[in-house]
Amino acid sequence: MMEVEFLPRLPLAFSQAALFGALVLVGLAAGEALRRYAALPRITGYVLAGAALGPQALGLISDNMLFDLRTLVDLSVGLIVFELGFRLDLKWLRLNRWLLAAAIAEALLSFATIFAVLIGFDFRPVLAAMAAAIGTATSPAVVILVVHDLRAQGQITERLLLFTAVNSVFAYVLLTLLLPFLHLEQQASWLQAVLHPLYLLWGSLVAGWLACILMLRLAAWLGKSEERQFILMVSMVVVSVGVAHALKLSVSLALITLGVAARNLDRGYAVLPVHFGHGSQLFFVILFVLVGASLEFSAFTVAAAAPVAAFVLVRFLSKGVALYAFGPLSGIRPSGAGLITLALVPLSGSAVVMVRDTTSLYPSFGRELAAVVLSAVVILELVGPLATQFALRRAGEAHPDG
Amino acid sequence: MSSPMDELSFAASAALSVGIELELQLVRPHDLDLSRDAADLLRRLEKRKLPGAVKPEITESMIELNSSVHTGCLALLEELETLRKAVVHEAGVLNVRIAGGGSHPFHDWADRRIYPNERFMHVVERYGYLAKQFTVFGQHIHIGCPSGDQAVFLTHLLTRYVPHFIALSAASPFYQGEDTSFQSSRLTAVSAFPLSGHMPFVADWSEFLEYFARMQGFGIAASMKDFYWDIRPKPEYGTIEIRVCDTPLTVRRAGLLAAYAQALAAWHLEERPLQPSRTTYLVNSHNRFEACRYGLRGTMIDPYASLKKAIGEDILETAARIAPYAARLGCGGLLEELAAGVRAGESDAAWLRRRHAARGSLADVVRDACSRWEQSM
Repeated sequence: MMEVEFLPRLPLAFSQAALFGALVLVGLAAGEALRRYAALPRITGYVLAGAALGPQALGLISDNMLFDLRTLVDLSVGLIVFELGFRLDLKWLRLNRWLLAAAIAEALLSFATIFAVLIGFDFRPVLAAMAAAIGTATSPAVVILVVHDLRAQGQITERLLLFTAVNSVFAYVLLTLLLPFLHLEQQASWLQAVLHPLYLLWGSLVAGWLACILMLRLAAWLGKSEERQFILMVSMVVVSVGVAHALKLSVSLALITLGVAARNLDRGYAVLPVHFGHGSQLFFVILFVLVGASLEFSAFTVAAAAPVAAFVLVRFLSKGVALYAFGPLSGIRPSGAGLITLALVPLSGSAVVMVRDTTSLYPSFGRELAAVVLSAVVILELVGPLATQFALRRAGEAHPDG
Repeated sequence: MSSPMDELSFAASAALSVGIELELQLVRPHDLDLSRDAADLLRRLEKRKLPGAVKPEITESMIELNSSVHTGCLALLEELETLRKAVVHEAGVLNVRIAGGGSHPFHDWADRRIYPNERFMHVVERYGYLAKQFTVFGQHIHIGCPSGDQAVFLTHLLTRYVPHFIALSAASPFYQGEDTSFQSSRLTAVSAFPLSGHMPFVADWSEFLEYFARMQGFGIAASMKDFYWDIRPKPEYGTIEIRVCDTPLTVRRAGLLAAYAQALAAWHLEERPLQPSRTTYLVNSHNRFEACRYGLRGTMIDPYASLKKAIGEDILETAARIAPYAARLGCGGLLEELAAGVRAGESDAAWLRRRHAARGSLADVVRDACSRWEQSM
């Protein structure tokens, strides 16, 4: 038989680009189907599609693939966290001190109560503290995506974004500061225990800050064209994610620093208010498909059920208490506190990433943490988008066509 | 509920008393587009003891400041400043900024949402997209009249000065992201309504009532609120209402415009130098267009002298003539300040264009306009 050289050999070798496109397509279809036929948020569809294709179900997305696509997750998280930071107006916190109080109380109370509950379940303090820190954060990705999806705007939406930014920063910093205890528990040297968090914290802050200075200079030089500034912003985010990754810094911390600094240090207003628009949707879809694929359904065990339930419940209640205590003082309508509490439910999908990071550092330690946190992620990743969407709709802040 | 005809019984008010309404833009700081926080802002303002009133407007991106009734414009200005400070403070708590100006330079009208109350919902049902496009911001000046006949008289006389008010207040050069080349683009949004334009040439209040009864009979208008005229009698307040002004960029300028209107009315009511003339309405559309398009540099036809002159020039002549009345009403200084601005060729529209030229983006123009409004006068 004649050899046909121009035909591809089997099995076909697909590039990462093809994989990327395929995953987005599947996610897109699943999201739309769920919205249309089940009136559920699109995100839930992306996550379910990912879970179905993932290593624990059909296995079309393997663990190796997930690892290879880690860059995409980082990039997506970077874009989202940057956007969240870019919306954080420190001037508002200066003008409205009660709002600052509410944001801090919400983060502190969530952390303290989750920590206490986990200690009550006999988890070791370091473990409990790290799980509590992760639990404090609301998922920037879910919040931003739901806000985009509903085209929501108004007081509840703005405050939801602000609280999410504050509790995310709180969680990132706290996790970094907890590292020494983790190191010590694992018998690492004192030097490593002290230097690692310092390097992570300051390295990420400085990297974000330097990127911001560079971006502001470039923006001033490029002039006020939305197209050029859009490209500038996206490329700056991509570069920063890459640099943070290469330097083994915290991508989230570096990128939120870039965002917050770009909003608040831009005295000459060189940067235009750029809308990320449809381009970022692409990353949202892939992010949630991958998050879905990474969900650890196997983390559920009978033993973990009680602490996980307590974790979820206490987290919700403490956010509620803080908002009911300080929300009205910060000038929100009476029904607002409850709605924001509900909207803050999504647990950060990047909790998965954080857990991965710890796992790679100390495998055995990571697994213990994973049981609790990842189970909570599974629950809240599925319930969270619903809660946020419901709250923003109920607040009357969703666009009628959203 | 009162019948429409009760609404039309003219509630006499003190001659030459003055009050204003200012429609303001609510802006969100992060992208300088219009926000939609009117309801939350109004809820906060309700709790404060303030003079006058703050009310919702057709879309959730606007609020309206109402002054109380004043005899002099200095007191009016003082009250407006109190209101301004309160609104800016409460808006700050909600991370909302406030700006004057007749239009938001780049908002997308399709994104606007109607403020949920019965009247506005009715307007949307009737006028469709015109209602959302009506997210423009004007200043209305009320002048008190002791009788309906005087109101009709004054409406006819002040129509001659419509181009003055347009040119003096013009502050909407940008619309839907573009430089319109107009000084005031806002009035175009008003002109789209079927009952816009001007009051018909009626001789007195009883003739006006006849006209109104006929329109009602046809089912064209149910209440005075349906008429979007440039100047209209407002019988329930006992005033005439000048509606052609863009909201200026500062409270101060709003006060100057009120002072001009008050002194002008005083001159016409007391000296009666002119009588109503149909010619005024013959040249009105031309004059109005010139003022919207070119501002102070536009030309207008003086219907009484049948002369063509620059609008700015006509304003200065008028200001000189009414100066004694302004002085007597205690606002001579305000009138002089207004005239000095005209001599210098200043306008809010020009200021906005200069900011755009200097900064390079419309978002920056909005930010600068907010800063200007938020400054004390």
